[in-house]
Amino acid sequence: MIRDITLGQYYPGSSIIHKLDPRTKIISTFIFIITLFLVKDFLGYLIATIALGTTIIISRVPLKFILKGLKPIFLIIIFTFTINMFMTKGTPLISLGFLTISKEGLYTAVFMGVRLVLLIIGSSLLTLTTKPINLTDGIEKLLRPLRKIGVPAHELAMMMTIALRFIPTLLEETDKIMKAQMARGADFESGNIIKRAKALIPLLVPLFISAFRIAQDLAMAMEARCYKGGDDRTRMNEMKLQGKDVAAFLLMIVFVAIILLQRIYF
Amino acid sequence: MYLIEVKNLTHIYSEGMPYQTSALTDVSFNVKPGEFVGIIGHTGSGKSTLIQHLNGLLKPKSGKIIIDNVDITSKDIKMRDIRRKIGLVFQYPEYQLFEETVHKDIAFGPLNLGLSQEEADMRVKEAISLVGLDYEEIALRSPFELSGGQKRRVAIAGVIAMKPQVLILDEPTAGLDPKAHSDILKMVEKIHKTEGNVIILVSHNMGDIAALADKVLVMDGGRLALCGSPEDVFSKEDLLKSLGLALPPAAEFISKLKGKGINISSKPLTVEEVENELYNILNNN
Repeated sequence: MIRDITLGQYYPGSSIIHKLDPRTKIISTFIFIITLFLVKDFLGYLIATIALGTTIIISRVPLKFILKGLKPIFLIIIFTFTINMFMTKGTPLISLGFLTISKEGLYTAVFMGVRLVLLIIGSSLLTLTTKPINLTDGIEKLLRPLRKIGVPAHELAMMMTIALRFIPTLLEETDKIMKAQMARGADFESGNIIKRAKALIPLLVPLFISAFRIAQDLAMAMEARCYKGGDDRTRMNEMKLQGKDVAAFLLMIVFVAIILLQRIYF
Repeated sequence: MYLIEVKNLTHIYSEGMPYQTSALTDVSFNVKPGEFVGIIGHTGSGKSTLIQHLNGLLKPKSGKIIIDNVDITSKDIKMRDIRRKIGLVFQYPEYQLFEETVHKDIAFGPLNLGLSQEEADMRVKEAISLVGLDYEEIALRSPFELSGGQKRRVAIAGVIAMKPQVLILDEPTAGLDPKAHSDILKMVEKIHKTEGNVIILVSHNMGDIAALADKVLVMDGGRLALCGSPEDVFSKEDLLKSLGLALPPAAEFISKLKGKGINISSKPLTVEEVENELYNILNNN
């Protein structure tokens, strides 16, 4: 049950998208997200959707898998959709008592909804095609220039790596403890909200203890191997921008240019 | 009459995902009331998946599990009724302890079954003495200040207190020192004798299985590779070795003696049996 969460999960593959330098993918994703905010009408979204769709097809991540990751965010999408629909003033379309749906409201709601979906799919494609470790390596490299103004790039990246690395471990741990307590008759699924919150105690106490134990073991193991963050660390796989990364950046520039031209001229 | 009937059980993890793995394929076996069943198999062979099916924590893709004439894989079954019948002690069960006192922790299961506080208190006392601890000394202490072996006993007591007809233990001796190891096994044997329940013991220790089990299941790659009495199973040395398993130390010893050309007809499995056998051989010479 718990291991089926796909948000932020890596989908193993060997497509050209998977093989791109993580930095390329991080920057491209940022550009894509920013560009989405430059779009002013649905024609612009159509272009963005085609671009995103093509990338998905090239990455060979099944659409079903991506949409599955959307599920937890579905509520937020519905929420923004509803708020936008009712809160935007304009020519009334339908009136339900004190609530009015205006023509502009409906337009904004759909507009914002599409933007949100594209945004989430775009960023989830980054995590789906990039191993978490590569992702943090990329972030570290990108943050490196900021070290001059005192940003601890390596430490931040290390923290992120460890956090990401232990999400599955903690999920597994949660699953295990949950099962152990269910075997003792614990019920996590029924009752009112107070009862349910109380039912979580048998899960949370052991989970916290496990988390501290794991953290302690890890710290010990790192120290035993003389871990020391900072300047002089070399890495096993140096990242190098390649021809395909340059090509990806060129495509991104073309994409931004098309969006901008569309915004100005159509 | 069988207490547990498992028919063509199949389970697949992460179905439809690129990393889907079939964890169980077409597993069938039966267990009679009062039997002591040992499950062996190397890591990842499906042992843990199998036992989680037995108390309804996992649902099979196909196949049936009938316990005490109730099909626990059917949809309209109450989980509480299954858990009343089947107690499951996971690996490293001490990680599930959470209450302020040992007493409260052990009472958690019985209270979840809907027993009254008095009844639960009785069961706690009983369970603590069954696992060989002293109630007065331990009941009001925090489970977190106990030693590793004691924590494990308390955790096992938490399941025993539910008085299951079937008690499943997943490697109850993992990570314990030799003394605690043999203590826990003696405790399991004692529980089996006093409660007369079915015990299903998952273990990597062939010697323990040979000494305790009436029936041995050998898992390999999600399939039931062998099923039979310890004598039958441990006589198939080559097959076991090809599955990455070993013989019990005693049987291994006898097998090596045979290899040296000593004629031994019986098939002893435990150290005591080997001892007797050696006396016989030495006397005859």
